[in-house]
Amino acid sequence: MAGVFIDTLKAVRAPLAAILLTLALGFVLVACITDDPVQAYRDLLFANFDSVGNFALFLNRATPLLLIALGVIFSFRAGIFNVGGEGQLYAGAIATTVIGVMLGGLSPVILFPLAVAGGILAGAFLGWIPATLKIRLGVDEVVTTLMLNIIVLLFTSYLSNQVIRDTASYGAVSQMLPASIWLPDLPGVRGATSGIIVALVLAGVTWLVLFRTEWGAQLRASGTNLRFAKSVGIPADRRIITAMLVAGGFGGLAGALYVLGIGHRFEQNFSPDYGLVGLTCALLARVHPIGAVATSIFYAMMINGAAYMQISTDVPRSLVDLLTGLLVLLMTARPKLKWGRS
Amino acid sequence: MATTALLAAILEQTAPILLAALAAMITLRANILNVAVEGMMLVGAFVAIAVGAATDSAPLALLAALVASVLMSQLLALMTLGFSADFIVAGLGINLLAAGGSLFALEWFYQSPGGLRPLAFPDIWHVPAGSLSFLPVIGPALEGQSIIVLAAFLAVPLLAVFLYRTPLGAYLRAAGEDEHAARSAGIDVARMKALSLAISGLLAGLAGAQLSMDKLHFFLPDMTSGRGFIGLAATLFGGGQPWITAAASLLFGFFGALGDRLQAFSIPSQFVLMLPYLAAIIGLAVARWRTHLRSRPAKLNTRRG
Repeated sequence: MAGVFIDTLKAVRAPLAAILLTLALGFVLVACITDDPVQAYRDLLFANFDSVGNFALFLNRATPLLLIALGVIFSFRAGIFNVGGEGQLYAGAIATTVIGVMLGGLSPVILFPLAVAGGILAGAFLGWIPATLKIRLGVDEVVTTLMLNIIVLLFTSYLSNQVIRDTASYGAVSQMLPASIWLPDLPGVRGATSGIIVALVLAGVTWLVLFRTEWGAQLRASGTNLRFAKSVGIPADRRIITAMLVAGGFGGLAGALYVLGIGHRFEQNFSPDYGLVGLTCALLARVHPIGAVATSIFYAMMINGAAYMQISTDVPRSLVDLLTGLLVLLMTARPKLKWGRS
Repeated sequence: MATTALLAAILEQTAPILLAALAAMITLRANILNVAVEGMMLVGAFVAIAVGAATDSAPLALLAALVASVLMSQLLALMTLGFSADFIVAGLGINLLAAGGSLFALEWFYQSPGGLRPLAFPDIWHVPAGSLSFLPVIGPALEGQSIIVLAAFLAVPLLAVFLYRTPLGAYLRAAGEDEHAARSAGIDVARMKALSLAISGLLAGLAGAQLSMDKLHFFLPDMTSGRGFIGLAATLFGGGQPWITAAASLLFGFFGALGDRLQAFSIPSQFVLMLPYLAAIIGLAVARWRTHLRSRPAKLNTRRG
């Protein structure tokens, strides 16, 4: 048990340092543009806990972030640079919506698992494409996942505008899912999806699978040293493709749970770049599932808090986007002790 | 004439993609997968409009755009070469910083998160109408194009000469192909990479300026809409060779121009907009598949052992 604790502490320490540095830089920026930087920062970080409503929104924000981060962790550990979280999220969300809307007459006992499975499979399929192209042909996965994101976004835009559009409401949104398959609220927190429980449980499962099973060890070995893994007889190609299936599945699940628990319908552009922020969370946590819980919670606080900050002071909410960029940039930097020559 | 109009549209669509592709190509030759082209383009596009609106001078706006995107490229160089950050992660960070920074500036300085539309904006130089009518087909298509479009097509031979005919280009390629060998030959690898990023920033800045300055004269937060990534795909498609990269960019530009025309028919716009991205994935897969076939080891004749 002590080993687990130290392991976790190590995973949390590095992101904490990066976060604190970014927050400090952000504070300087905020102090330059507003008379009340303390109020702005209090709202940015703690307004999420002012009311049950705010807290529920905060949990709803953290759920997709954590799920996508976990998916990214699977792919990164297998050595695949999966930037496709956004596409996998949208694929899952649209698949769940299409199933829920088209088969709305089915009994919820059948429809609910069908809708969730559809979301997971759609995401997994989207993870499979770049993985196969990478393994079989050596096509760079960064490029394919980035392209697939845009393709899926356009495709879902078509579906939500033309095929399953709710013509009675304003904007490109799908028809409502039958209320019988909505995710129940988190007990005690009105308006918060219980998807957060799923995400937290899966964080634990991810840790177990990656660090305490042979499959996970083989997966990590394929990611750290492909040639070594192959030479000791690990079926590395298969592990990598499975890892991307799992990664895509996590993204798809995030989409499915979003639609079932939060949106109750598909909205075009529902995601404020969850894919990239989820990726950031995973990287910030040094690709560690338990660390990812901390970083996803932090990011959910920041993204929601930015809105409260904008209301109470005159600091624009896009400050958070700027800080995110700064954070990503600072994150992997390893200052050298010797300056100059590399 | 319809072909002239289509050709003009293709050239106009190709220019920013070509510039983005060349920006990604020059760093690819230094062994850097540059995902930050998109962000550097966005900064170029924003600064061009902001400075153009403030100074009412097109050359100044263009210059400022180039300076800004080169600075972004050097920030990337500092983080990756100076502080050994990962190129892809830091590149994505640059993209976020560019998107967040430009949105922040829109909200903070201009109080308009939707975009920046100056009432008056200076025009950059365009090829005057009728000046090239002595050339058949291509002449009329070039008329009315901005100087940046011309620069984009001029950049292809220039970069080819730079890479293959100058010592500096040879050093840059050497640094990308084998770092250790290059270092032992006395080449400053980090400086070569920083140089390739600076050229990349220059080209990306031109691409961004073309998007916002040529016809539109305004800036939107998502103006680049993936063109940097299409350029990256064109570069990978062309294997880092200037002429093949240019051909791939032209193909993507053709798809883009075709897409605009197909929208007039009943094809949903989303599918049309998808075309260049689908073409990029399929093209990359086919290109890799062909090299894959070519590099297969010959079958050993076991009988003669």
